[in-house]
Amino acid sequence: MTDAAVLGPMPVYNEAIVRKFTIATMFWGVLAFLVGCTIAAELCWPGLSFGVSFLNFGRLRPVHTSAAIFAFGGNALFATSLYVVQRTCRARLWGGEALAEFLFWGYNFFIVQAALSYVMGYSRGQEYSEPTWHLTLFLVIVWVCYAAVFIGTLARRAEPHIYVANWFYLAFILTVAILVLVNNAALPVSMYSSREYVAYGGVQNALIQWWYGHNAVGFFLTAAFLGMMYYFIPKQANRPIYSYRLSIVHFWSLIFMYIWAGPHHLHYTSLPDWTQTLGMAFSIMLWMPSWGGMINGLMTLSGAWDKLRSDPALRFSVTAVGFYGMSTFEGPVMSIRDVNALAHYTDWVIGHVHSGALGWVAFITFGAMYYLVPVLWHRTKLYSVKLVAWHYWIATLGIVFYMTSMWVAGIMQGLMWRAYDQFGFLQYSFVDSVAAVHPYYIIRLLGGLMFLAGALIMVFNLIMTVKSPSTAPGALAVPPRNLPSGLTGAVLAGE
Amino acid sequence: MVRPQADSGRYMGEQGKSMEETSEFLTGGFVAVLGLIGLLLASGALDDEMYLFGFSLAGFALAFNAMLIRRHHNRVDAARALAKAAVRHD
Amino acid sequence: MKFRHDWIEKNAFLMLILVVVTISIGGVVEAVPLFTIETTVEHVKGVRPYSPLELAGRGIYVREGCYLCHSQQIRALKDEVERYGHYSLAAESMYDHPFQWGSKRIGPDLARVGGKYSNDWHYAHLSNPQALVPESLMPRYAFLAQNELDYGIIDRHLRTNAILGVPYTAEDIAQAKADLETQANPEADQTALLARYPKAVPASGGPRGVTEMDALVAYLQVLGTMVNFADTTTEQMKQ
Repeated sequence: MTDAAVLGPMPVYNEAIVRKFTIATMFWGVLAFLVGCTIAAELCWPGLSFGVSFLNFGRLRPVHTSAAIFAFGGNALFATSLYVVQRTCRARLWGGEALAEFLFWGYNFFIVQAALSYVMGYSRGQEYSEPTWHLTLFLVIVWVCYAAVFIGTLARRAEPHIYVANWFYLAFILTVAILVLVNNAALPVSMYSSREYVAYGGVQNALIQWWYGHNAVGFFLTAAFLGMMYYFIPKQANRPIYSYRLSIVHFWSLIFMYIWAGPHHLHYTSLPDWTQTLGMAFSIMLWMPSWGGMINGLMTLSGAWDKLRSDPALRFSVTAVGFYGMSTFEGPVMSIRDVNALAHYTDWVIGHVHSGALGWVAFITFGAMYYLVPVLWHRTKLYSVKLVAWHYWIATLGIVFYMTSMWVAGIMQGLMWRAYDQFGFLQYSFVDSVAAVHPYYIIRLLGGLMFLAGALIMVFNLIMTVKSPSTAPGALAVPPRNLPSGLTGAVLAGE
Repeated sequence: MVRPQADSGRYMGEQGKSMEETSEFLTGGFVAVLGLIGLLLASGALDDEMYLFGFSLAGFALAFNAMLIRRHHNRVDAARALAKAAVRHD
Repeated sequence: MKFRHDWIEKNAFLMLILVVVTISIGGVVEAVPLFTIETTVEHVKGVRPYSPLELAGRGIYVREGCYLCHSQQIRALKDEVERYGHYSLAAESMYDHPFQWGSKRIGPDLARVGGKYSNDWHYAHLSNPQALVPESLMPRYAFLAQNELDYGIIDRHLRTNAILGVPYTAEDIAQAKADLETQANPEADQTALLARYPKAVPASGGPRGVTEMDALVAYLQVLGTMVNFADTTTEQMKQ
């Protein structure tokens, strides 16, 4: 009995909105990487801001972090979650086309407004939570609509089981809602003023901020992208997920444990010791469910490892899982109090962030985008597989430069700050450490530029995929021989 | 909750059409309210950012609703053209 | 009947509830006691709310993203205490909405920068950091000295803080604008201001009127100066 006989004919999926989100993902990705390179350059040569307020590091950094996490990451998650939920539920998006359009235009309106506000000199003053109160309220409205669309689609599904990718997307949507609502609680000075004061102060604020900050990483950048992985790796490899039981165990333990990890950002500060210890303990335990996800993703390739040679897009996704494993080992190590005593406030943290952001988040997104674009625009294949390979190697090399330069810079800073000379005095002044890391900041900038170059190659490749006649349906130049009659180019392309 | 025969949105027929229209009216109405709120905020703005946000929100509401109206009329016109072509063929 | 994960996978509503319950536990356990355990914020003397000019300056510190390069939290580590001063107490940031502990040191920690440099040094350094510290990576903030401080609704800022629990009195709020102008003018009589806000540092003054630079410097000059550690016992600092 075929699927169609049991479940009825295929619904008409809303793919138009997925296409929009896909374009936005690539646009914001390039912008995020560009601003990242700009501020990296400013850290090498501070004169580059020319004394102008809206060009300096303090105002541009939130533009970079917001663009990378919310603009690039966020649009990628909208695109893939809305695509995946429809396909795995065999149901069209709940709420109609108009609501879906509001999701797209509303979310991107929020992003543009937020970026403008930082540059103009308005910020809540908390990392990854800089949008002022009215922008946050607007985001909450968009997010409620997103939850309604996603959950509504789940509720009207034709497929009885909720596929594993959707568990992760669901957890992401719900948790981010709670995180934003709690952390952004604030009182504006006046309804007509952008200025506000956060509801919490001092040490309580510190804990809540890093409960939020770490779980922005844990749910926005990890759980949600694991959802992406759980759909696109099996699809690209044409293999089933390695272990159903492992998905269950690591899903529930991951979402439970991640929440506790916040205090590892606050070791040796005036946060009480008991909270620091709790955070450290759970951060170390978190290693296990994270590697559960990595194992599940990698072992899905069993019996299909040769595909890595022929499919560079799959290479991105699988490498992403490798970087995920690396970051989720490094993180628990850095959460140990004594390691943290060296690492906190240094560039090692920046290195850790970017190995995760570039190696895991961006790479799994690239893998998904390379798969999605031909499907969404009904093309037979990508314009150039060779360009994908070029992108892969340039970007990977860029990440290696980024990570290693920041490891060296960070550990050097940590050691210099705690160094004593033979007389028992502090050996280095703070500014000595600043001067010492200059060459590594240049190497980091080089790594970032390479990553940006790779992304530009990707944008070119994707535009050509959509526009070029060589990828149009039925556009095989030479009719294939030795094939059973009836097979067409579209079928060969794996549609 | 599985309803394989009910509105999993599979058909762009009668049921699909009314869902789309409801969605358009509700979303459009809501966004219009947002636009008015934007104007209200801009009217009393105490700093540049609130001023910019208020007007941008109003502009967003205008543009978004214009798009919805255009889509609605395009769909009505297309349906009318289809019906006309079907009648001619009979 | 044996539990099967199947049941959750076939019921979106059940999955939703279970996810929300699962992710709520950690946050509640870690956050709630910080509000209920009294010694979380140490019972030390001297910490006071920011004066209006200092509060305005803090607003500038926040909007320029200074916390992205400068931390304000000295850790209880030997080398850090030696370099920056006594490790930070939770009490010292209790009126900070939001806290500005920071997470990265591209520049040095500022938790106890108050009183370490003269006003003139700060003005010169903020305008052109590289002139005083050639290897510095700090951008130039000369524009702060050109911008007039917008303090028309400073009393509303104090009132908003008061609603959130910062102990500004009705008199503080009523005198907010006057206090700000007094602190910005070194010629003026500072007695009343200092009675309300001990250890407040007046601005250097000048023909420009009250500038954003004045406010920022007033804020920097009070950092870490409120608690007199010579006068504080270990018992008081226990969390």
